[in-house]
Amino acid sequence: MLVYALVAGVLFGLYFSLVGIGLNLVFGVMRIVNLAHGDFLMLGAFVAIGVVTLIGIDPLFAAPLAFVIFLIVGLLLYWILVPRLQGSANPEMLSIILFFGLSQVLEAVTTIFLGTSERSIPSRALGTVFSTVKVKLFGGSPDSGGGPIEILGQGFPASWVIAAITSLVAIGLVYVYLYQTRLGTLTRAVMSRRDEAFATGIDVDRVSAAAFGIGLGLAAVAGIFAPFMFGSVTPAFGADATVTSFAIVVLGSLGNPLGTALGGVIYGICYMVVQTYLSSWADLLPYVLLIFILLLRPSGLLGRRVRVA
Amino acid sequence: MSPERAPILSVSKLVKRFGGFYALDGLSFHVSSGEILGLVGPNGSGKTTAINVISGLYAPDGGEVVLEGASIGGVASHKLVHRGINRTFQVPKPFLSLTVRQNVEVALAYGGAASAPAMADLLEEYRLAEVANRPAADLNNAQQKMLDLVRALTTRPRLLLLDELAAGLNPAELDWIAGRIKALAQSGMAIIVVEHLMGFIEHITDRVIVLNAGKEIFEGKLAVAVKVPQVIEVFLGGEHAA
Amino acid sequence: MPSALKHTLFIALPVLVIFAALPGVYQNHLLLFNFVIFLILAQGVNIIYGFTGYLPFGYVGFFGAGAYGFAVLVMHLHAPAIPAVLAAGLVGVVLGLLLTPLLRLSGAYFAIANLAASLAVLHLIANPALEQITRGPYGVSLSATFNPTYAYAAALVVLALTLGSVVFLKNSRSGLALQAVREDAVSASMAGVNVVRMRVIAWLASALVAGLAGGVYAWYVSVFYPDNVFSGEFSIFAIVFALFGGVASITGPIVGVVILYGIYNLIGFTTPQYFQLIYGLLIIGLVLFLPAGLVSLATRRGWHVP
Repeated sequence: MLVYALVAGVLFGLYFSLVGIGLNLVFGVMRIVNLAHGDFLMLGAFVAIGVVTLIGIDPLFAAPLAFVIFLIVGLLLYWILVPRLQGSANPEMLSIILFFGLSQVLEAVTTIFLGTSERSIPSRALGTVFSTVKVKLFGGSPDSGGGPIEILGQGFPASWVIAAITSLVAIGLVYVYLYQTRLGTLTRAVMSRRDEAFATGIDVDRVSAAAFGIGLGLAAVAGIFAPFMFGSVTPAFGADATVTSFAIVVLGSLGNPLGTALGGVIYGICYMVVQTYLSSWADLLPYVLLIFILLLRPSGLLGRRVRVA
Repeated sequence: MSPERAPILSVSKLVKRFGGFYALDGLSFHVSSGEILGLVGPNGSGKTTAINVISGLYAPDGGEVVLEGASIGGVASHKLVHRGINRTFQVPKPFLSLTVRQNVEVALAYGGAASAPAMADLLEEYRLAEVANRPAADLNNAQQKMLDLVRALTTRPRLLLLDELAAGLNPAELDWIAGRIKALAQSGMAIIVVEHLMGFIEHITDRVIVLNAGKEIFEGKLAVAVKVPQVIEVFLGGEHAA
Repeated sequence: MPSALKHTLFIALPVLVIFAALPGVYQNHLLLFNFVIFLILAQGVNIIYGFTGYLPFGYVGFFGAGAYGFAVLVMHLHAPAIPAVLAAGLVGVVLGLLLTPLLRLSGAYFAIANLAASLAVLHLIANPALEQITRGPYGVSLSATFNPTYAYAAALVVLALTLGSVVFLKNSRSGLALQAVREDAVSASMAGVNVVRMRVIAWLASALVAGLAGGVYAWYVSVFYPDNVFSGEFSIFAIVFALFGGVASITGPIVGVVILYGIYNLIGFTTPQYFQLIYGLLIIGLVLFLPAGLVSLATRRGWHVP
């Protein structure tokens, strides 16, 4: 049982890292709290559902599609919302309220078009591309795609493994972006010293817009897998996803996107262990964890209030 | 102005760490009533950290801060204000949405001064009378610095810490504020000045402490300090080579 | 006339008199009651956000905890309504005390932690494992104390107390000190203000107000579920109403509640998603075009708004 919980925790944890990483990127670069983060996950989930029900292809193909769509959405939203916000007296506070408004709009629009019923995708839909390839190359029956995958003698749904691997790839790409590209290097500069970045002539707007677009794109990609990881989604799924994302992000380190990978795995393991042994208290976990981490690591979090002259 | 008077503040072997970095590394000095003491040194030498520790913003990691015979290391800022310490900030942060008058009223109400000075006089003296009813956000940088000083003076400090009060003022304003600071010292206040402008420091201080890497490397008149090889080396390495 | 008296006579008193008289001429008493509850909550948000700058994103936690405090006393100790309402206020204060460490956090960290705290309290109360005490997710029914007329009167008393607190803050040196802390805590401490104590007092005052409101609410509706009294809408509405009118003023939150909650009820509940859409757009517009609230339209012209 423990082995199962631990392995499932790592698989979920890798996925949770992907859930949180976009939120952290946006906060790290802009000091803006994207309270609509979970709603972009929700939209990503509906992209996956749409791809499966309308076109009938593997939702894995929806991942790059969703990323590109929401990257563009992010860039547009950035230019509409953020400059006005940054000009106000208290951007950080107002961003919370602004993006709460946006999350309401997204949830409402989704409900208007799709209704409030729970939607799910048969879990074997994910990864059909692999079984098709396997059949082409090695022969055999084509319906083995959704079968469990064995790790350490325990069977896990293939969709969990695929989500975990995709998350690893996505986090790897974020790492490459931040450490191997020019824009990524500037992004790290802005994250560490926003005020000074302005002074040194870095085009903070361009860096921020890119981070915002990438953040939303990553949220949407994470959303693709949400129907498989959580069973089903509704338009109201976003609010819970946002709080969970916060727990993960804070657990890692706010403002450090790669710390989120660590936070996600720790969160995933805690989640699965509590789920296994204390299931009626599992709902409490993200909130209690979030509060404790916020309080126990005040140096990193309170750093901004102390005036360093 | 007599150095042989008992010091109002004495700091001994003060240590302040940030992570593994020693911002203050065994700093000792004292200042007496009526005296103007300068703290000089290159950037990062620990001047502002010293002021932050003395004014209670940071608790020291070692050593002692003694005010009028009582140890005050780690005492909360507002209590130190009530015990006679106040300060200005390098970057003044007045209460922006409150008017200038309201800014001062806060210090009047909470500063704990037994006989608080008259607000109208202070505002007049520091050239804020005309903007008294405007929000502090409307003030220019020099006016915000003066408001910061008035806020400090309203609590009737016996020890006043000035962190780069003169930076950004024009020559006429510099002369004027130098006169004000000297007058405050003559009224019996002990004043510690952190400043980069050497001419200004030389003009107003009785004595300076030269800091480097959180340690004192010289104590005495600034005119003497600039002839000490160790001090020259520190400053030639820094940005104030002149 | 001192301005505190002026504010009491010309703002607080008329609001109370109007809401005391309205049930006689208007039939939808539940709607009037909800107006009073939101007036209380919006002013409670005003106390903590307007005067100290902490955005209480989980403000409903105090409200829900108060409602359940009332319910537990009535169910298990068969307490009469009024002591149970007082206990609800106490529950709010105790929860506030438990959460005082959150005040060490600033900005978004506080808002998120507060939201998490309210959700933690919800999941605790709704946990089936605690069914013996809270009835878990199955909700409570408090027929023993059911009396909407008295509950409405009690709500008016709580509103009076809340308005009184805000009038006090607006006219006292404590209120000025709180605003100073909000603007810059370090400068405020150097003006001699005990920053921690002032924040805790404001925090507990707003927790008390929400706890009392929750107790009164439980008394009035008498049947409710955890999801009702911990609905995030209470936090969000209270914050948006207060912001829309303008915080750190007495009239701002009142104007905000009257206008926005009025619109809410005009649009009606029949199509909640259209309402949610309009509401979301309104919030976005508010932040982008009127971040300091309606009262800022007047103050920008140099008019003084209490």
